[in-house]
Amino acid sequence: MRLRAPFTLDRDIGIGLALVALFAAIPWLGPSKYVVSQITLFFIWATVVTQWNLIFGFAGIFSLAQMAVFGMGAYTAAMLALYLDWSLWGTMFLGGLMSVLVGAIVGAACIRLSGPFVALLTLAVAVVMQQMIVTDFECFYKQGMTCYNFTGGPRGLSRFGDFNFKEWLGYGNRHLGSYYLGLVILAAATAFTIVVKRSSMGLAFVALRDNPVLAKTRGISRSKYQILIFTLSAFFTGLAGGFYAGHFRTVSPPILDLSIMLFLLTMMVVGGLGRRWGPLLGCAAIMLIDDALKDAAEWRMIGIGAISILFILVVKGGIAGFIELAVGRLRRS
Amino acid sequence: MDSLIQIVVSGLTIGATYAISAVGLALIWGVLHMLNMAHGTLLVIGGYTSFVAVNMLGLPWYLGLPASIVGGIASGAIVFYVIVRWLYRHQSFEIGIIIATVGLAIVVENLLVKAFTAYPKKQPFFVDGGFRISEILVPWQTLIIIAVAVVLVAALAWLILHTGMGRAIRATTQSPEAARLMGVPVGRVYLQVLLIAGAVAAISGVCLTSIVPLAPHVGGTPMLKAFIVCVIAGLGNLPGTVLAGIVLGLFESAVEYGAGARYGFPAMLALVIIVLIWRPYGVFGRADVTRV
Repeated sequence: MRLRAPFTLDRDIGIGLALVALFAAIPWLGPSKYVVSQITLFFIWATVVTQWNLIFGFAGIFSLAQMAVFGMGAYTAAMLALYLDWSLWGTMFLGGLMSVLVGAIVGAACIRLSGPFVALLTLAVAVVMQQMIVTDFECFYKQGMTCYNFTGGPRGLSRFGDFNFKEWLGYGNRHLGSYYLGLVILAAATAFTIVVKRSSMGLAFVALRDNPVLAKTRGISRSKYQILIFTLSAFFTGLAGGFYAGHFRTVSPPILDLSIMLFLLTMMVVGGLGRRWGPLLGCAAIMLIDDALKDAAEWRMIGIGAISILFILVVKGGIAGFIELAVGRLRRS
Repeated sequence: MDSLIQIVVSGLTIGATYAISAVGLALIWGVLHMLNMAHGTLLVIGGYTSFVAVNMLGLPWYLGLPASIVGGIASGAIVFYVIVRWLYRHQSFEIGIIIATVGLAIVVENLLVKAFTAYPKKQPFFVDGGFRISEILVPWQTLIIIAVAVVLVAALAWLILHTGMGRAIRATTQSPEAARLMGVPVGRVYLQVLLIAGAVAAISGVCLTSIVPLAPHVGGTPMLKAFIVCVIAGLGNLPGTVLAGIVLGLFESAVEYGAGARYGFPAMLALVIIVLIWRPYGVFGRADVTRV
């Protein structure tokens, strides 16, 4: 590993601040409501993908439970708001904490397993979670003649309130409230990943990746750092889930679909696995492509799947890797 | 007594299906160290090939199974030529293959939706009726599935233990490098294994879709259950996989009978977590099989 920490410190934080400023300015340039809502969705997915990239790309744990952790945050936030009448501002954070718990359990279950076993187990966790929700038909409470299930069942949960932006900002500006809240969450999540990578934990993962045997003999415990990174990254994933619930004012089982997981996985691969700015680049690229394909809905998933295969086979470093390569060439010439 | 017979009958039916679905996965894992996330799609392709052969080309119903083998071999070839041959020499093979096969699965599933719609079809390789043991109806289809599973496992065992191709496959399983140095064309062995696994998957897909409806998305859950079978047996262990498949089939049907259908899969997941904590390489697995 090259020691050039002072240089990257300036560059990463500079890029981060510039991006925050850029996104903060966008609503003032008069975009349509559709563009604003699409960028808000981008904030949500980018938050989830940056945290996933921390586990998957950086720590090298092939977890496919990311959407289960996200769903746990979303469902916790929605259910607490629905059944206890708490404000989503609070339940969103509780959703994050619930996800931390789930992340810690999943991380602990995976601790003795090697790569592909982790992928299997975590995928099974996500699928079982979805099935348990979809097959939930028991009456939890009754309203008139209609029966409502505890988890909302296949219909999902709704009418649990939102972030009250309509009351504070007026009907016409409520989408801006969500936009800036999403931006804050993404900026915090990204700052968190930068901090993690530069902490002793980040160095431990670099050591474990580059020379596992030497790292172990120097007393770096893989299992300790594995549980730690699972737990920490789960918080922002769950928080993004809670924000999703409050923003769309509904949560339903399709968020746990395999196709959504592939959608986010493709973002990570296209951006560049384990690369610092990969998740943001990949997320933006895939959302633009997805938007371009929205008139041909049945080709959407086929296109996304084909792109993920193409990038895995051909452009292995993703967009971020490609940019690094191009910048390196330019500097040399 | 009757409920016990009921559990055994339905447990053996799904157990035999799991066993042969899992054998294909175990074979691919054992030789290539490849987690094939497109396996569920291979199952479904087998089901649809039989459907096309019988309902569209007008073949008699019992030719649905042999026809599916053709589809299975073709899909195995696609997995090899589109993905595996470009990746298997790379260091990031293990993770790359997971992502690429998930991508392939989604692409094929959506193409199947375009070709056949998402509306469930009926698998034509199916016999109605059955016979009774005391009060319990044992469907003929159960006997057919068990017979297919037995023949398939026997054929696979013969292929691997008694042919030159099988010897090359076993050599590659033990050590790809050593096999290559001894003149085994490892790339070709990988292709052969994927063709065999594709055919096996197609046959198990036909059996599977004769007990659940045939639709593009039905492969996902059976694939995960087949994975669970493989993990409990120890990934790559073929005899252990067959045994674990049948035991888990009985286990699942007992849980579903006792606690309700929605708890079958979660119970299997809980079981696999316990097994993985107790023996991380499976009940019959050995730690030294990991490729470094």
